[in-house]
Amino acid sequence: MSSVAASRFKATSGRVHLFNLSPATGSQSTQKRLGRGRSSGLGKTSGRGHKGQKARAGNGKPKAGFEGGQTPIVKLFPKRGFVNQNAKVFAPVNLDRIQHWIDQGRLTSSPEKPITAKELLASGCVHNVHDGIKLLGSGSEYLKTPIHITPSRASRSAIRAVEKAGGSVFCQYYNDLALKDCVKGRTDRTDAAPTRKTDIVSQVTRETLAVWYTSWQNRGYLSPTALSKMPLAHDRWRELSKQLLAFKTQEYEKAK
Amino acid sequence: MSSLIRPEENAELSDELVELDPDVFSHPIRRDILHLCVVHHLDCQRQGSANTKTRGEVRGSGRKIRPQKGSGRARLGDGQSPMLRGGGVAFGPRPRDFATKLNRKVIEMGMKVALSARVKEQSLGVVRSLEWPGYKTKDLQQRIEELGWWRTLFVTGHDQIPAGLDRTSSNLPMVETIRAADLNVYTALKWPRLILDLAAVEWFEQALGKPQVAPREYKL
Repeated sequence: MSSVAASRFKATSGRVHLFNLSPATGSQSTQKRLGRGRSSGLGKTSGRGHKGQKARAGNGKPKAGFEGGQTPIVKLFPKRGFVNQNAKVFAPVNLDRIQHWIDQGRLTSSPEKPITAKELLASGCVHNVHDGIKLLGSGSEYLKTPIHITPSRASRSAIRAVEKAGGSVFCQYYNDLALKDCVKGRTDRTDAAPTRKTDIVSQVTRETLAVWYTSWQNRGYLSPTALSKMPLAHDRWRELSKQLLAFKTQEYEKAK
Repeated sequence: MSSLIRPEENAELSDELVELDPDVFSHPIRRDILHLCVVHHLDCQRQGSANTKTRGEVRGSGRKIRPQKGSGRARLGDGQSPMLRGGGVAFGPRPRDFATKLNRKVIEMGMKVALSARVKEQSLGVVRSLEWPGYKTKDLQQRIEELGWWRTLFVTGHDQIPAGLDRTSSNLPMVETIRAADLNVYTALKWPRLILDLAAVEWFEQALGKPQVAPREYKL
């Protein structure tokens, strides 16, 4: 019960040898040994008291969450809903934070080297890229310098504020692999194009407002206007944009 | 700060000095760190092969030894129960590993403390080289008696122990040679006297001393 320092010899001044070493006082305490007689203080019932579930051999405890028969809290309330496996979580970053980072010298941008997820993560502006970065417009009154940024998504007010300050925003589609490559700085692999309709085409209804990479409204990288303005547009993107927007002017064979 | 004494016979006494790194050879003495290192070393040396048979492993059948009721004595099952003479052991030792983990930096500090302790009690000597010419053990024995270097551990900093010294000292019971890379805290404490050669001093200073780090550059 009481911790006893197990030092055998006092440290003697004189030569150090294998027989006159001892541990630091108070660093070692004796083990609690149950069921070894009365005087130890832990004999007979060995600290368990008398009878009952807790005195038994083995676990002696009911399963986790059991409340003695009362309906446990995990069963009181009904299950609800489902978890969307395809949901995307974007790491938000506001304009005032970016301006602060630029003032500290932790972020720089130019049209040829825009701010991407890699720079934001490395400088500590975001702690985790999740499924991509979304640029939000909170604190836009603090934005002074022109920034050139390519997030996964951007809010309308953020786009307005950045372009007012003289910068540029182009939203690029990053799937999981493309995002990992962007953060690691790998350029040997080609980034995949968006495949889901919600990612490609604008679906503006009263209830939903999906992401659209072919729309200039959100500075999508596959919109024709963006391709003409972006200094780093790939030829592959131009081709993709043409093919993805072909449906707007396609003619179908009429049935005879 | 130790004097060089040649193992070879030489007419004149030389007054050469070796400068030792104070981080390694003048470290504050910490006996509790030495205790940790020695206990860790001995734990790792344990064979851990003690074994006993449980009631399941003792040879015997499962036949009930006597009927449950009627004999007037205690009830018994098979003959290998720990209660009985010749039965198994209830919670006996099993082969196990007694090795413990000790932080690498604690072991390094232990080495520094051990070397510093030997320096402090003036049982650490430095020699220019541990080369020994000759083949006879008797010659080395005579020289060691002249120097009074019984119970000495010769530590070399080279990759191999000098062949001459190795051969002549192998049969001498109170003399031992070892490489600096193989030296541990237990061995350093066990031998009352340590004789290092210059390569060993450099080896220890490089392995245990503070690393040379260039000052960081700041972009301001």
